[in-house]
Formats: sequence, C-alpha cells, structure tokens
Amino acid sequence: MIENLTNLLVYGAISGAVYALLALGFTLIYGVADVVNMAHGAFYMLGAYAFSVFLIHLGYNSITNPSPFLLFIALILAPIFVGFVGTIVYRSLIHPLIEDALSVLVVTIGTALILQQIILFIFGDKDMPVPKLLEGSITPLGVTVTYHELLSFVLSLSLIAVLWIFIARSKIGGAMRAAAQDREAATLMGINTERLYMLTMAISALLAAIAGILLVPPAASPILREWTYPLVMSFAIVILGGLGSIKGSLVGAFVIGYVEKFVLIFFPGMGFLKGAAALIVMVLVLLFRPKGVFGKRVEAE
Amino acid sequence: MPLLEVENLTKRFGGLTAVNNVSFHVDEGDIVGLIGPNGAGKTTLFNLITGFLEPDSGTVRFKSEDITGLGPHKIVNKGIARTFQVVRPFRHLPAIANVIVACVSPRASKKLEWLKSPERKALDMLELVGLSEMMFESAGNLAHGDLKRLEMARALATEPDLLLLDEPFSGLNPIETDYLTKSIQRLHLDGYTMVIVEHKLHELMKLVRRVIVLHYGEKIAEGSPKEISLNKKVIEVYMGKGAT
Amino acid sequence: MVGTFLKRVYSSFATKVLDVPPRLLAFLFFLLLLFIPMAKPDSYTLLILTIAYIYALFAASWDLLVGRSGQVSLGHALFFGVAAYLSAFLSKFHGFPIWATIPLSMLFCALVAVLIGVPCLRVKGPYLTLVTLAFPLILFVIIFSLPSPVGGEGGIALPPRFFPREFFMERGFSLSEAVYLQTLAEYYLILVSLFVSSIILYRVANSKTGIVLVSILDDESASKACGINVTKYKLLAFAVSALFAGLAGGLYAHSFGAQGAVAPEAVLGLTTSFYPVIMTIFGGIGTIYGPIVGAFTLWTLMEFFRVAAELRALIYISIIIIFIVKWPTGVAKFVVEKLNDLAKEREIDERKKKK
Repeated sequence: MIENLTNLLVYGAISGAVYALLALGFTLIYGVADVVNMAHGAFYMLGAYAFSVFLIHLGYNSITNPSPFLLFIALILAPIFVGFVGTIVYRSLIHPLIEDALSVLVVTIGTALILQQIILFIFGDKDMPVPKLLEGSITPLGVTVTYHELLSFVLSLSLIAVLWIFIARSKIGGAMRAAAQDREAATLMGINTERLYMLTMAISALLAAIAGILLVPPAASPILREWTYPLVMSFAIVILGGLGSIKGSLVGAFVIGYVEKFVLIFFPGMGFLKGAAALIVMVLVLLFRPKGVFGKRVEAE
Repeated sequence: MPLLEVENLTKRFGGLTAVNNVSFHVDEGDIVGLIGPNGAGKTTLFNLITGFLEPDSGTVRFKSEDITGLGPHKIVNKGIARTFQVVRPFRHLPAIANVIVACVSPRASKKLEWLKSPERKALDMLELVGLSEMMFESAGNLAHGDLKRLEMARALATEPDLLLLDEPFSGLNPIETDYLTKSIQRLHLDGYTMVIVEHKLHELMKLVRRVIVLHYGEKIAEGSPKEISLNKKVIEVYMGKGAT
Repeated sequence: MVGTFLKRVYSSFATKVLDVPPRLLAFLFFLLLLFIPMAKPDSYTLLILTIAYIYALFAASWDLLVGRSGQVSLGHALFFGVAAYLSAFLSKFHGFPIWATIPLSMLFCALVAVLIGVPCLRVKGPYLTLVTLAFPLILFVIIFSLPSPVGGEGGIALPPRFFPREFFMERGFSLSEAVYLQTLAEYYLILVSLFVSSIILYRVANSKTGIVLVSILDDESASKACGINVTKYKLLAFAVSALFAGLAGGLYAHSFGAQGAVAPEAVLGLTTSFYPVIMTIFGGIGTIYGPIVGAFTLWTLMEFFRVAAELRALIYISIIIIFIVKWPTGVAKFVVEKLNDLAKEREIDERKKKK
C-alpha cells in the first residue's frame, strides 16, 4: 500500500509536469486567439512520429548507433517542424474563419482527421518505435524512476518556466496577454494579430509535439496513432483549471496526472478507465465551478 | 403602497462601490427621473432592480413583494420591463420576430386578449411605436433610432406595470426626440409608471415630476425638477466646484 | 387574414427559391428518392443511401440544437449511442418488439438530455462544447467494461432487423429475394422517417419556439429581458434534438447495426459526434435542409472515393475542409442565398418594367 502511494506520488508528479506542457499549448492558443484546437492531440502524435523520422534520417539506431547527440538534435528539430505545420494550418485554414468560432472548430477537427490520414498513409500499419531519451533507471526510496522520466520532468518544468517568463516579461508575451484580454483593443494598438496568432499556434503545436516525444516512449506504441486521448486529456485539464489560464493549466495538469496514475496503479488491468476518470473529474468540476478553478471570463453580461 | 421600494441597495465590484446604500420609492403612475454624471451607478441600479445583478445588501420590493435577487426573466414576468442603454436587438431576426419573443413570455401570454395571437400583438406593438412598415426588415439592418423604438416595443409587449428606460434619448435626432417625448407622455397618460435614466436633462425635466440624483453610487438629492436644478450640491457635481 | 399574415411572418424567416417555395423543392427531392429503387440498384447502393438518411436525420437533429439555440454540442453521439444500444438491448435480450423499443429509446434520450442538460447548460461557450464531448466518451468506457454479450468492444451483436427474412419468405419469396427486400423495406422505412422527421424539425425551427431559440443565440440577456426563461428553452431544444438523434440511433441499430453489431466505437465514438458537425457546417447551419444536403453529399461522396482506397480519406477530408473554408456559411445555404438574390433581382426588374 505504501509502495503504491509513493509510486503514485512520484509518477503523478512526472505525468503532471508533461501534461502541463501539453495543456499549456492548448490553453495558450485559446487564451490568445479564442481557438479551441481539436487538432492539438494530432500535433502531439505528429511530434512523436516526426521525432522517429528525424532520427532515422540522422542515422540513429537504437542498437548500432544509439547516439544521445542525435537524440538531442531530433528533440530540437521535431517540435520545430510541428510548430511550422501548426503555423501553416493556422494561416491557411483557421485565420480565414477566425470570426466564426464554430467553423474554426470544425476546421480543426478536419485538420486532426487529415493529419491522422496522412500518418496512416505514410506509415500504414507499421509501428514506429519512439526511443526513450535516456536509458536506465534509478530506484530512490523504493520507487523505480527511469532516467527518461526524470529528464521529462526536469525538461517540462524548465520549459514551463521559460514560457512563463517569456509571456510575463517579453514584448511578444505582452502582446499575447493583450490579445488574450481584448482582441479588438489589441488590433487597435497596432498589434498584428494575424502574425501573433501564427506564432502562438507555432508555440502551441511545439509544446504538444514535445509532450508527445516525452510521453509516447514509456507507453506502448499502439497509442501512437491515437490523437484522441491526448486531446481529451488536454480538455479535462484545461476545463478543470480554467480555459485561458496558465496557472489553471498547471494545477489542472497535476490533478489529472495524479488521477490518471491513480487509476493505473490502483486498478491494474482497467487502464482504459483512465480517460473516463479524467473526464468524470472534468464534468464534476464544471458542475460546481463552471469557469474552472482559475477561469478566464468567457462572457460579459 | 408604493409600486417600487428600493431600500439600502448596495453593490460592490471588488474595491469599487458602484451603488452605495441607495433608497427610494416609486408610486403608481409616477414618472421619475434618475440622473447623475457618468459612472454614478445609474445603470448598475437598474441592473440590480431588474435582476441582472445581485445586490450585496438591501432589498427591492415590487407591489409589496420582495423581488431582490430574482432572475431577470422572473422579474419581467412580475411586471417590470427595461430598455438598455446600448440597444440590444436580436440582429438575426426581423423586427416583428424581435417583438414576438416578448409576446411569447408567460406574462404577455397570460395578458393576451382572447382571440389575439402573439403575432398580432407584436404587430400592434410595432404600430404603436411607428415601426410597422419595417416589420420584415432584419433588425441588423435598422437604423439607430428605429432600434430604440424596437426596444420600446419589446419592453411594452411584456405588459409591464413599471417601465425602466435607460437613456432612451441617446443618439436621437430632434424629430425622433420630439416623437419620443410625445410617446412617453402618452404612455404616462395611459397609466404606465416610469423611471427614466437620462443625460439630456432638458428633455428629461420636461417629462418627469420627480428627480433622483446619484453621484459615485450615492443618492445626493431628490426633489422636483425645479428644486434639483437649484440644488447646490447637484450643480457642483455637474459643473464642478467653481460653479456655485 | 391571420393565416396569410402568419405565413408572411415566417416566410421572411425561411427562404424562397425563385418562384418555387422551398417546400415544393424539398418534396420533389424526396419524391425522387422514393423512386430510386425503380432503377433496380443493388443491395449495397440501397444500404449506402439508407445510412445516408440516418446520418441526415442525426445531423438535422444537431442543427436544431446548434443552429437555433447556439448551444454547440460535440457529444451528440451520446443520444445516437444510447438509443441504438437501448433499443438493441431491449429487443435482443428482452424480446420487446422494435416498434416499441425505438420510441422508448427516443423518450429515454430526451430524458437523458434534460438530466445532463441542467448542469451542462449552466456552462457557456467552449466549456459547454467540451463538456458535452465528455459524456459519450464516458459512456463508451462504461459499456466497454461491461461483460459481453452486453458490452465489451464488440457491443451487442446482431440485434433484430426491422424485417426478418422469414417475413418475406413466408410470403413466397426466395432467400435471395428476401435478402434484397429486407434492405429495400428498410430503405423506404428510413426514408419516410427522415421525411417526416425533417418536416417536424423544420416546423419546430421555424415556429415561435424557434424564434425564441434564435433570440437566445443572439443575445441571451436581452432574451431574458423579454421575460423568456432561457434555461427552459435551452433544455427544450436539447430534448427535442435528443429525441430525433435517438430516432436516428434506433434506426441504425436495427438496419445497419443488425447486420453486424451495435458497437460502442461506432455509435459513441468521437468521430460519430463529429459527423453531424461536419455535415451541418458543410451544408449550412441553422437551416435543417443544410445538414440533410450535407449528409447526402458527403456520405455518397465517400463511397465514390472508395475506389482510390488509401488516399481516399485524405483527399475526401481535404475537399471538405477546402469547401468549408471557401464557403463558411455552408454549401446548401450558399446556393439558396444565390438563388434568392436572383429572385430578388428578377423582382426588381419586373417592377421596373411595370413603371
């Protein structure tokens, strides 16, 4: 029992950190551009695939050439690639419809489906193994933690910190905050919203991609073609924490991370329940606090 | 028994007290003006009375019934109708459909004459405000003055006993202003009780019998139009300290 | 006098196509569909069309909710799935006749809509969208974890079909003829259901209730200021929409579902929730005819693309997306608006001639 609890404590935290990265991406593009991006899970998936592909082309091989240097390079290249894809998607599909929230929603659904089909088309039924960033593990205090998981944890928190500072201090970050508060006012103040949103989308997709690269290896690879699970998790977190709120996404991510690990640890064999558990938590939160814990004001009376 | 009794109504938004301990009453058949500089809390007061906001303390009694904090649609169905400072038409609907919405409300349905349909009633309302020619025009295409009249038609369609008008004269040209003044006088003669918020004091003072003045959320004066226009505090508030 | 007046009130709300009222066009369209079987198409074609009708009904029910009251639900599969499942369950395991289980399931869906509507509709905008999405997925997992034959990945296998083969064979038809007639009978049954349902949905959408729903979509606060109990109307829209989505689900269970299984993935999945959304946006939201056109077009188009196997889904979805970006109001709505403009121009020309 104690072992389960300590496992939960540690694994929940690690999950939470990476989920925070994923959720931040989702909440960012909503907060700044009012876009509910149904393709967010697809970017997650794309990130993992792109990582694999880059590695192969760089000559990486888990048995003959497991170079950490190459892993590092791919870790940089893949998210940038996905961020670029996100920008293109935004510019070509979302921006023309930005005034109509429903159409944007539908178009992002379509994007997710397209990306899924493209991946299916290119890779077919082959399973693409996504290597871990580091091999090996340590076992402090009876909890087995892989180096990959440790690195994920540290990397995620660092990225979140960098992002936080960026949004709070930099000029672009200020523009984002302005657009999040009032899109029209931001345009009137000379902010080129189109470019700002493209950049935000790039960051959002980039974050999703990194989350994919970090989370896919420890799990089994069939999840690779699944873009719905990360999407659903993003929703649950973001609703819980409040759409548009960075603090909320952080808090929500850890809550959901712990819920997920709780199900996995205490209900072994019923792993498919974890998604439902997260959703149930989300629904319950919404019933009692319709705007989430730190929600952004969605409407003014 | 006064129709409307507002007692010690207070509303705070964070650190700002928008309405501070305001009390007043309105008798049946009264026509009362509510004035004050911008930000004095007039619209907030309306929102509190009509249920769009919940007060932090105080009560609102209508026909001796405590209606404090009831939802806006319930209050409309008790007999208080309001218009908005910035018009809020249903832009996706034609003018007549705008009024039909109000005619379908429980109160309007109950008070509907035996053989009349809500559509017929809506048409009557439009004719009353002079908009019947525009009835199939989409509300999104109407001019500002027409939209103001549409708001009035909608409010009247709910068969109110008390009518709260929020800046009805704003944005109207002289012809429309004249028409509105005559309409309000006619409504008053028909027995409607009204509270009117307005900045165009010249027009307002012609219509009302009593004036309440708000400043920074507090009631600073109450009296006849003549008394108010001579009240030192009121003049100070509008013109600045040097004017007296 | 009141009658003609009423007609004019609502005609400004609906649309006119040239000089032909849209109702006539819709009727002609359905007439055409009724006569398609005369061309002796094979079972497969009939089945495709039948499923198109089911999704058309599903999409139209979604349109009533979203196009009229503006509450965007991304979880409409909940009602489709609940009805399909309940009807299959009651008829297969408890022997209830289909003509009873389907209405029962429909009513149950309306009840479910009210139950989840009360908490859900307190929530606005994107929050509502995302929370509605959760419900079918949660139910999916619950059913998934139930033991078969009731649940599990396979769902309920082989629920009874509308017209069992014996029905035809008793009347002297051979086995192969009976199999064809099964599909043909379902074709007509479902087509007629679609026709009747779409009329009802259209009437509701263009009634006083429909007007109130649009007022809620437009400006909820102003609607309240007119004395409207907004929550009550939202729940009403939700319930009526669920009723017809349930009908679609029930029809599915005993036609297509009966040829394999009513599986959770097919009736409660995320993609099932997406279908009505895409079809309605493609065709034109808020029209009732838009989603029907969208469903026909997209579903039959998908079959057309079956030829190109691998790339088909990709091209198919890309085409849909391009259409939506180019004609955001919806293809059917766009066509109707253009025709209206033409009609108005003709009217103006005629008036000029008279002068």
